[in-house]
Amino acid sequence: MKKMNCVEKGHRGEDLAVDFLLAKGYRIVTRNWRVRSGEIDIIAQDDDTLVFCEVKTRSSIRCGTGAEAVDRRKQRKIVQAAILYLQRYHLMNQRCRFDVIEILQPAQGQPQIQHISNAFGG
Amino acid sequence: MFAKTFGAGILGLNGVLFSIEVDISNGIPGMEIVGLPDAAVRESKERVRAAIRNSGYEVPCRRITVNLAPADQKKDGSGLDLPIAIGILAASGQLAVQALDEVVLVGELSLDAKLRGINGVLPMAIICRQTGIKRLVLPVENAAEAQVVDTLKVVAVDSLQAAIKAIASDFPDLTESPRCNVPRLIKQSLQQNDDFCDVQGQLAAKRALEIAAAGGHNVLMTGSPGAGKTMLARRIASILPPMTQDEALEVSKIYSVAGLLGQVAGLVEQRPFRSPHHTVSAAAMAGGGRIPRPGEVTLAHNGVLFLDELTEFPRQVLEVLRQPVEDGQVTVARVNSTYTYPSRFMLILAMNPCPCGYFGDSLRECCCSQAEIKRYLRRISGPLMDRIDLHINVPRLRYEEMATEQQAEPSKTIAARVAAARALQADRFAGMGVFCNAQMNHRQIKDQCQISKDAQELLRQAFEKMKLNARSYDRIIKVAQTIADLVGQNKIAYEHMAEAVQVRLTVADSAHNN
Repeated sequence: MKKMNCVEKGHRGEDLAVDFLLAKGYRIVTRNWRVRSGEIDIIAQDDDTLVFCEVKTRSSIRCGTGAEAVDRRKQRKIVQAAILYLQRYHLMNQRCRFDVIEILQPAQGQPQIQHISNAFGG
Repeated sequence: MFAKTFGAGILGLNGVLFSIEVDISNGIPGMEIVGLPDAAVRESKERVRAAIRNSGYEVPCRRITVNLAPADQKKDGSGLDLPIAIGILAASGQLAVQALDEVVLVGELSLDAKLRGINGVLPMAIICRQTGIKRLVLPVENAAEAQVVDTLKVVAVDSLQAAIKAIASDFPDLTESPRCNVPRLIKQSLQQNDDFCDVQGQLAAKRALEIAAAGGHNVLMTGSPGAGKTMLARRIASILPPMTQDEALEVSKIYSVAGLLGQVAGLVEQRPFRSPHHTVSAAAMAGGGRIPRPGEVTLAHNGVLFLDELTEFPRQVLEVLRQPVEDGQVTVARVNSTYTYPSRFMLILAMNPCPCGYFGDSLRECCCSQAEIKRYLRRISGPLMDRIDLHINVPRLRYEEMATEQQAEPSKTIAARVAAARALQADRFAGMGVFCNAQMNHRQIKDQCQISKDAQELLRQAFEKMKLNARSYDRIIKVAQTIADLVGQNKIAYEHMAEAVQVRLTVADSAHNN
C-alpha cells in the first residue's frame, strides 16, 4: 500500500519535472532510461548540452530534503548509467551535465520545484 | 582546449619545476588530476573550484584533466593550487594568455581566492634562476625570501584576482616589489641578549668555548648541577662569527623548506642554535618521515646543536649523530629516492658527571657508587666521545667569584678574537669548500697544518700515553691549529699542541679507558 503511494508520488514528481524542463525550453530526449546498474529519470537536451536529471520528490522535509538523498553512492550510479548511455549512442564527445530536480509536494498546496544545475560530476 | 603553466615543488632541499597541463574536453563533467599527486595536491581540486568561482570566474562544466609533469615524480604540498587555477582559466578562454612560458606560479589558494604562503620558496626561486625562468609569481608572505635570489623578477600577489590581473596585463613593472639588500641583512646579526659578561668565573670553560667557536669544534661540558653549563652554552651564539653570504643562503634554504623562515627577513641572519629536548626521537634528530623533512642536525647546519643533559638522551638518538658529526651531512634513504641534507654544526654537549651530579664537586659529597657512575657514563658510547674535541669541567663557583663586582669579559671582545681567527682560516681554505678548521679532512690537515718539531714530539708522546686513535690524532691537530690561529700564528707551536692535548683529556675520558 505505502510502497505503491511512493512510486506513484515519484511518477507524479517526474511528470512535474518534465513540464518544468519543457517550460524552460529543454527538449526531452527520453524518460526512465534503464540499465542494470541504474536508471536515469530524465534525459533532456539544453542547447548543446545533454542533461541527465535525477528527480527527487518529497512530501515533507522531515526525513531530509530530496537533494540530500542524492549521495555519493547515488551519484556514482547515475554517472555509471550516463556513461553507458553515451557509449550506446556513440556520444562520448558530447557535452553533458548532471542536474538534480527536487520537488517538495505537501499533502495540500502547490508543489515547490528546485532545479540544481550541474549538481555533481564524475 | 589546452593550456600549460609552470609550478614548482621541493625535492629534499632543492627546488624542482613542474609543468601543469590543463585540457578541457566534452564528456562526463569533472576534474581529474594525474601525475602522482599526493593528498594535498588532490584536494587542491576543491580549493581551486571555490577560489575560481569566488573571484568572479567560472569553472567550466566540462571534463577537466590536469596533468602534472614529469609524471613519475611525486608532487606534494599545496603550492600547485595557483598554477592549476590559472591553467584552468587559460584553457577555458577566460584568461587571454600572453606569456606563461617563462613564468612560474606558486601559492596555496584559500576558498575566498586569497593566496596563502607556502614552504620552500627560496629553493624554488633558486631553481627558477638556474633554469632561466624570468618571473616568479608568489604569495606576498613569501616575497622576501624569493627576493634574495638576484636577477629573478618576483611578482608578489595577495589573491587569485591579483595574479590574473598581473598576467593579463603582461606584468607591469609596478607589481614587482623592491629588492632587499642582502649583505645588509646579514650584518644585523650580532645583536644578542645573552652575553658572556653575565657569567662570572669559569675561565677555563670560557677559553674552551672560545677555541670551539674559533674552529667549529665539538665540546662536552661536565659539571655539577647549577654550575653554569647551560648558561655558558646559550651564550656561544654571541661569540660566533657572522655567517658568510653562502652560509646564510644554505641555512635559509633549509629553514625555507622546513617552514621555519621568519616572515619579515628574507634570509636567516643568525647562526642557528638548536637545543632539542632529550625526548627527541631519532627521526626528528636525523630527519625523516614518509616525505623526508630535515631534522635537528640539519636545522643546526652552520650553527650550534646543543644537547643538554646528554645522558638522558636515548642511546639510539645519540648514535644517529655519528654520521652527521663526522661527514657533515646526513642521508635519508627512501624507496623512491635518497635525500642528502647538510649538517655541519658545532656539537655542544652538557652532562653531570654521575647520577647524583656531585662527583668531583668541591663541597658536596657524591653519593653514587663506582658501579653506578660507570653505568651512567656508559650511556654515552666511545665512538661519540671520540668525536668530541674539547672536554671541559665546569666546576662549582666559589662565593667570592659569584659576588664579585668585577665585570667578566664581554662577548664582543671574545667575538673579535674569534672573528680574527676565522679570517685566518678563511684565507687558508679559500676555494676549498671548507669554512673552519674542524671541517678539514685528513689530506687537508696534511697539506695545511704546519707543526713544529717539539709539538710533533709532544703529540707522539700523547698518542702513545693516551692510547689515541687515528681520528683523535687528526682532531687534536685541528684544535691545535685553531689555538694557533687565535694568537695569529700559522704554525702550530709546542704550547698550542699542549693545550689541545690537555683539553681532550677528562674525567669521562679516563673513565672510558678503564
